[in-house]
Amino acid sequence: MEGLIAQIFTTAFLATFIRSLVPLLLTALGGLFSERSGVVNIALDGLIIFGALAGAVVTQVLNPSLGAAAPWVGWLAGMLVGGLIAWIHAVLSIKYRADQVISGTAINLLATGVPAVLLTALYGVSNESPKVENALPLWGVGELRFSPPVYFAFLAVAVTWYVMYRTPYGLRLRATGEQPGAAASMGVNVRRMRYSAVILSGVLAGTAGVFLSIGNLDSYVRNISAGSGFIALAALIFGQWRPLGVLGATALFGLLQALSTYLGGSDLLPPALVSALPYLITILALIFTGRSRAPKALGTPYEG
Amino acid sequence: MTPDFHSRPSGDAARIALIACAVAALGMLLLPLATLGRGFSADAVLLHLTGNVLNLTANQQVPLPPTGAALPLAWAAFAALIATLIGAWQRARWFWITGLLTFVLATATVVLLGAALNEETSRIAADTTLRAGAKRQLRNFYASGGMNMGLFLPALAGLIAAGAGLTFQRRWWETFNRMRGLLVPASAIGLAVLVGALVVLLVQPAVNQSGTPLSLWGGWLAKSDLVYFVYSTLFAPVTALSPLLDSLKIATPLIFTGLSVAFAFRTGLFNVGAPGQLTMGAIAAMLVGVYAPPSLGWGLLLLSVLAAAAGGALWGAIPGVLKARFGSSEVINTIMLNYVASAIFIFMIGSDTFPFLGRTYTQPFKAEGSNPQSELLQPEAQLRPLLEVLNVGQNGTVALSIGLLVALAAFVITRALVRRNRTLIALAAALVLGALTWRIGIPVSITGSQLNGAFLIALACVVLFGTLMWRTAAGYALRAVGLSPKAAEYGGISVARNTILAMTIAGMFAGLAGTHYVNGGALDEYRLKQNMPVNVGFDGIAVALMGQSTPAGVVAASVLFGTIDTGGVIADQKLDKVNNDIVTVLKALIVLFIAAGGFLSRRVTDPPPAALAAAARPETTAPPSPSEAHLERGTPLPNLTRASEENTREGGQ
Repeated sequence: MEGLIAQIFTTAFLATFIRSLVPLLLTALGGLFSERSGVVNIALDGLIIFGALAGAVVTQVLNPSLGAAAPWVGWLAGMLVGGLIAWIHAVLSIKYRADQVISGTAINLLATGVPAVLLTALYGVSNESPKVENALPLWGVGELRFSPPVYFAFLAVAVTWYVMYRTPYGLRLRATGEQPGAAASMGVNVRRMRYSAVILSGVLAGTAGVFLSIGNLDSYVRNISAGSGFIALAALIFGQWRPLGVLGATALFGLLQALSTYLGGSDLLPPALVSALPYLITILALIFTGRSRAPKALGTPYEG
Repeated sequence: MTPDFHSRPSGDAARIALIACAVAALGMLLLPLATLGRGFSADAVLLHLTGNVLNLTANQQVPLPPTGAALPLAWAAFAALIATLIGAWQRARWFWITGLLTFVLATATVVLLGAALNEETSRIAADTTLRAGAKRQLRNFYASGGMNMGLFLPALAGLIAAGAGLTFQRRWWETFNRMRGLLVPASAIGLAVLVGALVVLLVQPAVNQSGTPLSLWGGWLAKSDLVYFVYSTLFAPVTALSPLLDSLKIATPLIFTGLSVAFAFRTGLFNVGAPGQLTMGAIAAMLVGVYAPPSLGWGLLLLSVLAAAAGGALWGAIPGVLKARFGSSEVINTIMLNYVASAIFIFMIGSDTFPFLGRTYTQPFKAEGSNPQSELLQPEAQLRPLLEVLNVGQNGTVALSIGLLVALAAFVITRALVRRNRTLIALAAALVLGALTWRIGIPVSITGSQLNGAFLIALACVVLFGTLMWRTAAGYALRAVGLSPKAAEYGGISVARNTILAMTIAGMFAGLAGTHYVNGGALDEYRLKQNMPVNVGFDGIAVALMGQSTPAGVVAASVLFGTIDTGGVIADQKLDKVNNDIVTVLKALIVLFIAAGGFLSRRVTDPPPAALAAAARPETTAPPSPSEAHLERGTPLPNLTRASEENTREGGQ
């Protein structure tokens, strides 16, 4: 048993932990903006997939002409496409007052079909893109070498905290999610706030996807998100819709994912069941948080 | 769309007809009229309204059927279309007549062309000089021909114009108004088809095997033909018996999962957990079907089906309890449980051994060998193919009993004729007539359909859904909770209890889909295998939304989805850049557009309740509604994420 613990708590494990944490953190921060503005974003998982796909494909296409700069443009493309798809969710749920959960589910469904159609059209295979020659560079020391989105993610926590609590934009955003009517009467443009927040969530989730496809691997593979979007959503609830809470919750879930990766290779538990651990813990975590601190206007279209 | 019962159609109706006719007229000029023949790789011989023929096949000398009378007829349809266009422009009273005429003329052209193609096919069949292979190829070549968008659009536009023109008569207006529930799904399908067409245009290069490069105009015709080819392939399975049975087979699990999601919708819950519930149902059905004592005989099948229901119900009850007791969102919990169920599934049949606390055990549920699958079900637990059940078996040929059809027809006719207790009387009539005609068979040619008994279980679930929801006190309570939890609680209905009950029943429906895969042998063998398509659970969301959460709607949507799934396989074979996944995209788009209300104005989709509208019209003698159950089913769907106060109005009806 001691041997196992020593085996787990190594720098290699720390690296795995950070790699599992980052997509969750980025996505959950994105969800934070969207949900704080009052728009439920079930679509996060689909946004990750679209971001990952765009990142990988654009990098692959631009590689001959741009070389080492290609993945950076790919990252930008992932953010743009994430934002664009999130904009669809925003239009449906803000302009057309669609049920936000259904609208998000529709985008997740799109994310199961569109990548396959696109990959078939481009490369003739439906479940993975060809490997990119230049993935995002790795920065760091020794075994702790990460691609830039990792550093970006930790920076994003600080920025999100600052924006949320120390800028007029954050104040308006929070007001929009709690009392859109009151915010509107103070001159806040509720719709514009919500549009910006939802698009921002797409940009951040798209970055998470880019990290998965060209920051961590070197191609897009089918089902690359593996449900990260939903776990991030759970982490958002567990973290009580607050940036630092989100950091703590995603750290917990990231740790569980890293552990399940490590335990899967050991002879302690059946690997299939170990892979279910993060999901079980998520369910348990949700029992203890519930929806008590949710933004009050979450899920309700603004009728003004 | 306010009804004004003057002598002229309303401005809205005229505008709809105008747009439809303008699009169709442009389509007739810009798109191919018909396909005279089509090779295996979707290479076609296209006929344009001008009479020009564009041959894109490898064989440039292939004899073509005479188009003699078809072209003048098509021109006549075009003229009628233009007349309708002018009539709609002037809001004339008569434009429904020309609209109808357009439809008739376009249909006549299609029939005429079809006859010419059939003649060609029979001529090939009679030709003794051809080799068997060439014969089959040529027969398929002509059999795949027929109308193209240039004839499809005017027929459709003619129908739309006729319908729109007729709305100035109150009787027709009320008929159309009653079908208003179809507006959003129809508009969503239309938009999804449109976007899908754009995807096909972008993705698939023109098919040209003629060897000569295409001109701009020819390229456009070839491209637009591709769009028609893809859709006609997707929707083709309804036109022949064999593929129709195949699509019913694929529709069966969709009915289960669709009912599951629809049931939850009705009670204000969103069940994203159908994949997990389906998996657990399939596992439970397998456990009983394989390991229960064989001495049970037919009871084994019954027990296995019940186990499937129980497995799904358990998996549905968990998020129900969590929501009722702790208030945690059922959406996230059901998604998490999907992953857990998938892990259990892989654990049980994925590998031969598993490690536990440092020791290795053998996995008892997995069959020997390298394939990830369970043991074979005992024969008593297997649901036989429906054809075998319905087969009268005369002289060794396949002869289907007509009992089921007669019973269905008797049910529909009797129900329409009788006034009181009509469902009961109709059921009795159906039973009697069905039993009487059970031994009469009609010979048919069907190639091994795998439609199995689970289809009948699905239909039983449809009836159960309808009865439970609209005929029992429990269903009343469930719907009340769905429409407004606060009002229900105030009225003495326990929201917590009904939430758990709703999720349990929803899970049961999804779990029963396991009977299709395991007991019905839909995975090619009567066992649990890894190729079980759990995504069917997510398709249930699309099915429930498209079916407006009504039992009949769910069946219709499932059959539609089963059809395009079957057709998608054929399109996949014939085109190199378009594959099955386009069907997934279409489904996702349908959900997307339904979420947006089909981009229709709210004035159209949620007009004031009939009672209010009737009160505003003092001169009417408010005719009694033809079917109260119908109206009841027309109540708006409950809001999922919030209990909005305005819904209590309908709840109190």
